[in-house]
Amino acid sequence: MELRKFSIPEIIFGRGSLRYVGRCARRIGAEKVFLVSDPGLEQAGWVDRLTETLEEEKLRWVYFNDVVSNPRDLQIEKGAAVYRRERADVVIALGGGSPMDAAKGIAVVASNGGQIRDYEGANRIQRPLPPMVFIPSTAGSGSDITQFAIITDVRRKVKMSIISRTLVPNISIIDPLVLQTKTRKLIIAAAIDAMSHAIESYVSNIASPFTELLSLQAIGLIVKHLHTAVETRSLDSLEQLSSASTVAGMAFSNAGLGADHALAHSLGGMFDTLHGLVHPVLLPAVMRFNLPECIEKMADIGRVLLGRRLGSSEATALGGIEKFEEFCESLEVGVHLKEIVRDKSELPNLCKMAVNDACLLTNPRKATCEDLLQICEGAW
Amino acid sequence: MKSKPTLDDLIGVEHSKLGYYRELQQKVAEVEISNLELARRQRQIQAILDGITDVMMVLSLNLKIVSVNHVFQDVFRVPEPEGKFCHEVFRSAPQPCSSCPVITSRESNRVCRHLAIYPVDGQNRHFEITASPLRNPDGKPCLILLLMRDVTLEKELQAKYYQSQRMATIGVLAAGVAHEINNPLTAISGFAEGLKRRLPRIEKTIDQELMDDFSEYLGIILKECQRCQEIVQSLLTFGRQTCPESSPVNLNNLVNDTLKLLQNQLKQYRKDLIQVELDESLPPVQGNESQLKQVVLDLLFNALDATQEKGAIILRTSSGNGDWVSFSIEDTGYGIPSEHMDRLFEPFFTTKPVGKGVGIGLSTCYNIVDQHGGEIQVESEEGKGSTFIVKLPRENRNGSLQSNPNPGS
Repeated sequence: MELRKFSIPEIIFGRGSLRYVGRCARRIGAEKVFLVSDPGLEQAGWVDRLTETLEEEKLRWVYFNDVVSNPRDLQIEKGAAVYRRERADVVIALGGGSPMDAAKGIAVVASNGGQIRDYEGANRIQRPLPPMVFIPSTAGSGSDITQFAIITDVRRKVKMSIISRTLVPNISIIDPLVLQTKTRKLIIAAAIDAMSHAIESYVSNIASPFTELLSLQAIGLIVKHLHTAVETRSLDSLEQLSSASTVAGMAFSNAGLGADHALAHSLGGMFDTLHGLVHPVLLPAVMRFNLPECIEKMADIGRVLLGRRLGSSEATALGGIEKFEEFCESLEVGVHLKEIVRDKSELPNLCKMAVNDACLLTNPRKATCEDLLQICEGAW
Repeated sequence: MKSKPTLDDLIGVEHSKLGYYRELQQKVAEVEISNLELARRQRQIQAILDGITDVMMVLSLNLKIVSVNHVFQDVFRVPEPEGKFCHEVFRSAPQPCSSCPVITSRESNRVCRHLAIYPVDGQNRHFEITASPLRNPDGKPCLILLLMRDVTLEKELQAKYYQSQRMATIGVLAAGVAHEINNPLTAISGFAEGLKRRLPRIEKTIDQELMDDFSEYLGIILKECQRCQEIVQSLLTFGRQTCPESSPVNLNNLVNDTLKLLQNQLKQYRKDLIQVELDESLPPVQGNESQLKQVVLDLLFNALDATQEKGAIILRTSSGNGDWVSFSIEDTGYGIPSEHMDRLFEPFFTTKPVGKGVGIGLSTCYNIVDQHGGEIQVESEEGKGSTFIVKLPRENRNGSLQSNPNPGS
């Protein structure tokens, strides 16, 4: 096997772990925290709960909530200006993928200067970032675990991937209690995102023994607990989703993703689509496209999804893909691309953009622009 | 578009989460370097400050001493002056001095210079004081830097310079006047002689009484002319800036010769009036013996005039430290009033009654000693006596006068 690398943050996991935020920030040198969150979490009272822990540690903070879904470059640069003006130190993010990615972007620009687009690509960050403590409010984007940040370049309508080991947060605090206040739609979108992370990272061409187990673990947990979590909001099942999202994050941060995410990033950039709702549409088509290159692995996924093996590996793999489609339909989410992209003539542009996405590098089967277009047609 | 990421980029074996340790190390190294540089500059500045030979002190705005340099201790020897008021230290005064350069500098926010006299080791010394405000970033004075330069020596040299200038001017003036008077005086005396010679020819034609008057008057005219001529002569000698012949002179012999010369005149005084303390190991000086003899004579006469019956006069020679050989006359006479001290060596300044002296003696002494490259010092206390000290340069190897190589100029 070629060289592999595995890195994750310190992780504090468990109900009520939110109360450790202040102490963690203090321990890594905070005096004035830069706190990123969003109005939804403010209303749910989680921001106040967090700042109470800062007060307990006698820490000052500056609060930044100018973040939207699919965070934008200008917001990042504005946040970095606030960070510098306020002479903040530790960056804390409480939220889903958007506030966390925004916080990463702000940390990069605040400490390295320039604009966020200067860091698009891999390993372009030259200087250390402020220490980061992330608290995911969804299960999940995995941004609290990964070396990725996805920021929208508004002018180019592109979701930029910024990849660097330096983007791995210092501490991830995962408190399942926070999930209780999320809407059904958000819980589903986040969980399916985590599922797609798990599936794509498992078949990635740089998956390793360290990531493969984690990927399968995440798939199993989500398929087992998502329905219960949505129906009952039981803390036990929400906790299982948190766990699944976290291990999926650990897997894909180190193994990468694939064509589904390459296309999803392009869709987000062009149509500002809610990221989690892209996978039910595209992932089955991508899995079928990849199948010839990784039948055994697809069969492993199928076995986890189905809970058993079918006659052959291929049958198990295909059964798994169908099971995934059924699973998504049962959650009442859209499964057709035409529900997201109104005009079919946009597809070539979409694919041209996606073929350049870094996620495509780890896709098990080499995919050209034409291949991607066919995938999209298949998902239409 | 930048170069696209590769699989190796994603694995990122060579890339780690960047920490501050490296930056910290760099910063620590930079700080160490800049610390060394600061210390070096500090030492340099300290060396510069230590090299300043003036008294230097920093005062707070309320005149308290904040710090002093080592020269302060060398000069004033006040232990731990820090925290004391400057007027306490220098004047033992509870209030600031009336014209305080520090206050002026503080109020005007400008450099202020000032001359002051402070007692140091029982002697008054002149100081030139410079007070400069040390300003805070707003430009307001926050401390005052005080530099004090001891200018006592400069003041003395300046006074000497003025004195010699005045003496030279008066000398030239006196010589000119003497020269102008000399011609009519010669005519008066010549024609009076002529009249005196012709007097017997009219002896028969006038009565005896008138003849006696004429004879007496002519005698007085000739006698007074003679006196005038003597004064004129001494004035001319005084004013003449000649280069006298010089040879090695032993001051001890000079004193003894002079006393022998005066043997007759000294008979009228008490025998133990004059005491002589001669330094047997006295080296010779280079000079003109007869001129130097005149100096001893003049000073001795002055001492005799000033001393009462019971007084004493001590003649001393000594080879003090350095390049000087000195001769001094100490008397227990009237002493010299301090207001006369400055004018002592001016020509025609005298306190003697008319006819007893014209005030040429000391000024002549001054000129002679000056031409020998030496100097005369006077110490006197009214009612107790005076000491005149003549310091002459020790003869050097090539035999010429030391400090005044061109005395005729």
